[in-house]
Amino acid sequence: MRVGQNPAKSIKQVIQPKNVTVATITYIPHLKGYYAESLEVLKACLGSLWDNTGVPFDLFVFDNNSCDEVKNFLLDAKDNGLIQFLLLSDKNIGKGGAWNIIFQGAQGEIIAYSDSDVVYYQGWLEHSIEILNTFPNVGMVTGRPLRSPEEFFSKTLEWAQSQNDVTVENGNFIPWDVFREHVISLGTSESQAREWFESKSEWRVTYQGLSALISAAHFQFVTRKDLIQKFLPFDMDRPMGQVRTLDDMINQAGYLRLSTCEPYVRHIGNKIDGIQDHDLQNEHFSIKKTRNRFLELPLIKRSLLGIYDFIFKIYYEN
Amino acid sequence: MRTGQNPSKSGIPAYKPQQLGIALLVYIPFKEGYFKNSLDILKFQIESIYKNTAQKFDLLVFDNGSCPEVVHALGELREDGYIEWLVLSKNNLGKVGAWNWIFASMPNELICYADSDVLFRDGWLENSLAILNAFPNVGMVSAQPTFHDVLEGKGRAHLALQEDNNFEFGSYHPDRKIVEEYCNGIGADDKLSSIFFDMDLPCVSNKSNNSNAVIGATHMQFIIPQRVARDVVPLPVRKGLHRAETTSLDRRIDELGYLHLSTKSSYVMHMGNVINEKLLSEVNSINGGMDNGPKSAEVVLSKKSTLFRTISKLMKIPSFQRFFLRVYDFLYRALYAEIQ
Repeated sequence: MRVGQNPAKSIKQVIQPKNVTVATITYIPHLKGYYAESLEVLKACLGSLWDNTGVPFDLFVFDNNSCDEVKNFLLDAKDNGLIQFLLLSDKNIGKGGAWNIIFQGAQGEIIAYSDSDVVYYQGWLEHSIEILNTFPNVGMVTGRPLRSPEEFFSKTLEWAQSQNDVTVENGNFIPWDVFREHVISLGTSESQAREWFESKSEWRVTYQGLSALISAAHFQFVTRKDLIQKFLPFDMDRPMGQVRTLDDMINQAGYLRLSTCEPYVRHIGNKIDGIQDHDLQNEHFSIKKTRNRFLELPLIKRSLLGIYDFIFKIYYEN
Repeated sequence: MRTGQNPSKSGIPAYKPQQLGIALLVYIPFKEGYFKNSLDILKFQIESIYKNTAQKFDLLVFDNGSCPEVVHALGELREDGYIEWLVLSKNNLGKVGAWNWIFASMPNELICYADSDVLFRDGWLENSLAILNAFPNVGMVSAQPTFHDVLEGKGRAHLALQEDNNFEFGSYHPDRKIVEEYCNGIGADDKLSSIFFDMDLPCVSNKSNNSNAVIGATHMQFIIPQRVARDVVPLPVRKGLHRAETTSLDRRIDELGYLHLSTKSSYVMHMGNVINEKLLSEVNSINGGMDNGPKSAEVVLSKKSTLFRTISKLMKIPSFQRFFLRVYDFLYRALYAEIQ
């Protein structure tokens, strides 16, 4: 039975959600192998977010069943008031499943999503929101100039080319070091990065005095909640690897996919020491080829990769 | 930079949410006074849900800014496999603010909401679903007859059924035990109780399938289809727990033409905030034990080999898990060139 009045009835005013919800998904099942540095990467990600966001926001972290060390870090951050909403999932429901919950549940009118391996620089949110508010029918704004396949921005280009009050230019608007920083972070080799840089160009669009590049990426973007909800629910049955569906759907629906002209975010990947580490890795690769040629034998490599995957799958199930 | 392929991209299936999601809203800011027994009562509730829910479900607990001890206890329940999704809000968003979150984001087709002091009895789901399926445009079904009309006679949605000869309206006088339990749950005094004992509840029957239900639903516990839940949010919220705000849910559902209905018998019981002998006896008779237990992992990996199952079992032993993780780490470094 109930005795007394529930003290919650005396709460006269609850804290209202901020206009912007910054959301991220974490999935670090252990701190070995691929994930050995992932907790440090996550700390860098959230640390830079807390340091460099000049607009009030609520932070929503969706943990897709990480290990205890990661959960404890997130719980501490929530206890210290740095995370406003922390969702701990008992199973990995995939990136699409987590997106379904985040984009429905986020209380802000603007949602800034990023993977949890991204660092933010001063002004990242302000510049993205400025583009979101200036251009019409914006679907996604990524805080970094980048290129993507034309199939994912064809509608943006069509729109830009059909408007009299829009300037659209084709050329090289991304400096080499900015381009390189991003593609190297994806695990691309130096030579491949150079080849891509030299063989392609990008589109820049200017509207009402504000310029943006035509392209966006699902690893980090700012969008409006009412817009992204039009595409829900995402039907993705794997934890990762199907997320380009979002890029395609937004483009097909005719919403603009844009990015800032300057880099305000940076993809880190699973190694905390970034570019310097990459240079070292190149040396490692060359050393490996001379010292570990055995591992390069297709049969051996496939077998080891099979065992590696097998152990991960068992770990995942357990 | 990224070194190696993210193992999550290796084709492992993601967990697919169950058809039914049960959401509990918890707010226990301290463990004294009014809230002294609240955590134990919540545990009774979770036990009863596992014991008496006839189909698989995902349990979501939304913590609306409880004290650290409670958050810790919820974490333990999650680790033990009872809670599928634990949402920890730094601040109290109010009951309606939490509803906004829950109704918007739960991925399950059917959502059951309950306050954190409700005991579930055998048959609660079956009888709620029977009503959900027997009447058209049902928005909410509570598994306890509703004594208090939050719409104060202004509900319109059920009037649409008056034009259909399949439906018959009437009244229903609940059994004395049902009324007693209701009065006890809300702590009603003798004067208020006597009103409830004399009360006839409005009900509706569907002659075509011989179903009947009480008109009205309660905020304490109800099921709501996801599409209805998504239609009604966001609801306006300023206060922690305020009747005018919580009834906005009912008004919205009614305005959209969805029915509020409830079962004629009590399949859930409001426990309140006091543990007494009566409650303990009820809990013991309902829960009996924990043989329904926490759910086991639902992720299904195709074509599991004997080797997979054997190693999977071994992985449950900490020393083996450490060994396999070392092998995994070694392979990662070998394959991705950190070992020279």
